[in-house]
Amino acid sequence: MDRNVCVIAGGMSKWGVRDGSQRDFFQEAAKACYDDNPLLNPKEIDGLLVASAYTERTSYQTHLAPLVAEYVGVKPKNICARVELLCASGSSAIILAFAMIKSGQADIVMVAGGEKLYTPQKWEVFYSELASVDHDWDGGQGLGLPPPVFAMVAKQHMLKYGTKKEHLGTVSVKNRRNSAKNPKAQFQTPVTMEEVMSGRMIVPPLTLYDCCPITDGAACLVLAAEDKAKDLTDKPLVYIRGTGQASVNNMSGNMPNWTTWEALKIAAHQAYSKAKVDPKEVNVAMTHDCFTISEIIEMEDLGFCEKGEGGFFVADGQNDFGGQVPTNTDGGLLGCGHPFGGTGIRQGMEVMRQLRGDAVQQVPNAMTGLTHNLSGFISAHTVLIYGREVA
Amino acid sequence: MSTPGISILEGKYMVTMDLFPQQSKEFNQIYEFYEYLKEGRFTTTKCKDCGSEPFPPRVMCPDCYSTNMEWIDWPTVGTVIDVTEEAVGVPLGFGKPPMIHALVDLDGKRTLFLRIINCNAGQLKSGDKVKLSVFDVDPVPQEVGREVVQIARVFYAFEPMK
Repeated sequence: MDRNVCVIAGGMSKWGVRDGSQRDFFQEAAKACYDDNPLLNPKEIDGLLVASAYTERTSYQTHLAPLVAEYVGVKPKNICARVELLCASGSSAIILAFAMIKSGQADIVMVAGGEKLYTPQKWEVFYSELASVDHDWDGGQGLGLPPPVFAMVAKQHMLKYGTKKEHLGTVSVKNRRNSAKNPKAQFQTPVTMEEVMSGRMIVPPLTLYDCCPITDGAACLVLAAEDKAKDLTDKPLVYIRGTGQASVNNMSGNMPNWTTWEALKIAAHQAYSKAKVDPKEVNVAMTHDCFTISEIIEMEDLGFCEKGEGGFFVADGQNDFGGQVPTNTDGGLLGCGHPFGGTGIRQGMEVMRQLRGDAVQQVPNAMTGLTHNLSGFISAHTVLIYGREVA
Repeated sequence: MSTPGISILEGKYMVTMDLFPQQSKEFNQIYEFYEYLKEGRFTTTKCKDCGSEPFPPRVMCPDCYSTNMEWIDWPTVGTVIDVTEEAVGVPLGFGKPPMIHALVDLDGKRTLFLRIINCNAGQLKSGDKVKLSVFDVDPVPQEVGREVVQIARVFYAFEPMK
C-alpha cells in the first residue's frame, strides 16, 4: 500500500511566558485544531504522536502520549507514543505520522507538540539545556544554551562571506513584523532596525533580537489518508510531498563545517528528490530561525540562493513578501517563540494555511511550501515539503 | 542553593548533579579518561584494528566497529581560531559572565569548541596558544552498599599560555 497523505486541520495555543501547565496547553492547542476543521470528528483519530523534549524535566512527566490522548479526547488504536528530537521533535512526529498513513498502518493521525519550559525557578531551564548537547562533553564546557554556538557561526560566516550585522537585523525586523500580526505569537510588537542594532549584547555579534526566546505552548496538526481527507475537509487538500532528516555528527568537535550545514544539504536533497521539487519552485518556507544567522545560512543550504549570499539575499527582501520565497510568514521562532516540541507543528500549520489560502498574511497563489528544523548542536536537520498537488 | 530534607545531597540542590558527567567505573566505562585527566593528560581511544581516533572516547570504534580500543595521549596545547564571550545566559556553576568560548585547533586532531578559563575578557585573539587546564568539580555522593562515598570528580577547560 502506498497512499497520498494530506494535512486536514491545525491549531495552536497562545505561545509565550504562560500561566498554566503542559497539559493545559495541549488542550488549548487541540481545541484550536478541532475548531479549525468542524468536519473532523476527533473520535475517528486512530493514531497520536506527541512531540515534547523536556517533559520529564520541566513537567516531571514521562509516558506522555496516553496522557495527552486522555486530555484531548482521542482514543488511538494504531499508535500512541512520544517522539523526541529536541527542536525538531514536532517535524519528526509529522514525518512518522506521514509514513504510517502512507504505508496503511493508520488512517488519521494527530501530531501534538508542546512544552512547559518556565519553572518556578527560571534558571533551571539553563541547566536543562546542558542535556540538549552531548552532556558529558559539550555540556561540561558550559554549552547547551545555544547563543555561544551561533555567535561563533555568525562570526565565521561574517569573516568568510562578508555577512553584516545589518543583514542579521533584517531577519529580526521581518519576523517580528510578521509575529505582530499573529495573535498566537509570543511577541506582539514589531521592532525597528534601530532597536535591533542597539539591542542588549548576548554573545557578540548576537544581540537580544538575534535570539529566539524560551517559550511555553503547544500546537496540533491532523494528517489523513487522501481518501479520508476528501470527506473530512471542505478546504483545498494540502499534501505532504517529501521529507528528509539527516545527522552527520553530534558533538561539537565532530562538526564538519560551521558555516555550511552538511546535514541540512543532505536532508534538503532527500526532501526535494522525493517531492520532485526544485528549490526555486518553493513559494513559502518556514525555516528554523532560532537565531538570525540561522535563517541566513538556511537560505543558502536549502538552495534558495548561492552559498555565502544569504545575508545579501535577505537584505534584498528576497525572503520577504514579494520576494522569491517569503519565509517565516507567521513570525518564525524569533517572533512566535520556541516551545521545542511545538515548533515543527506550528510550521506545518502555517504552511497548511498558506497552501489552503487562508493564512493571516497570505502569500498569493502559494502551491508549494517547505519547513525546516535544526536541532541540538546544529547536528540534525529536518525538511518537509508540502504541496497543493501530489508529487 | 540549599534543599533541606535531602540528606544524601548534603544540603545541595539536586541540579548540582547536572553540570558534569558521572566518572566512576560503576557508571562510566570510559572512566579512565578522567583518571588520566587528573594526571594532566588529555586522552582518547584509538582503534587497534583500523587506526581511527574517535573523540569522545569509545567502547566501540564507529568506523570499523571493532571493540579493540587502546588509550592514547592527545595534544594538550591548541591554537585559537576564533573567540566568543557570552555576556548573558551563563549557567549557574560556570562562574560570572562573560564565559569565554574558543574554537580551537588541537594540533590537527580536531577543532574543539572549548571553555576558556583564567582569561580576561578581550584578552584572547585568533592565533593565540591555549593549554589544557584541569580542575575539581562537585563530588557525587554514590551509594556503596549501605554507605555513601563521595566520588571525587574533575573536568577540563583550556587556558591561555603564559
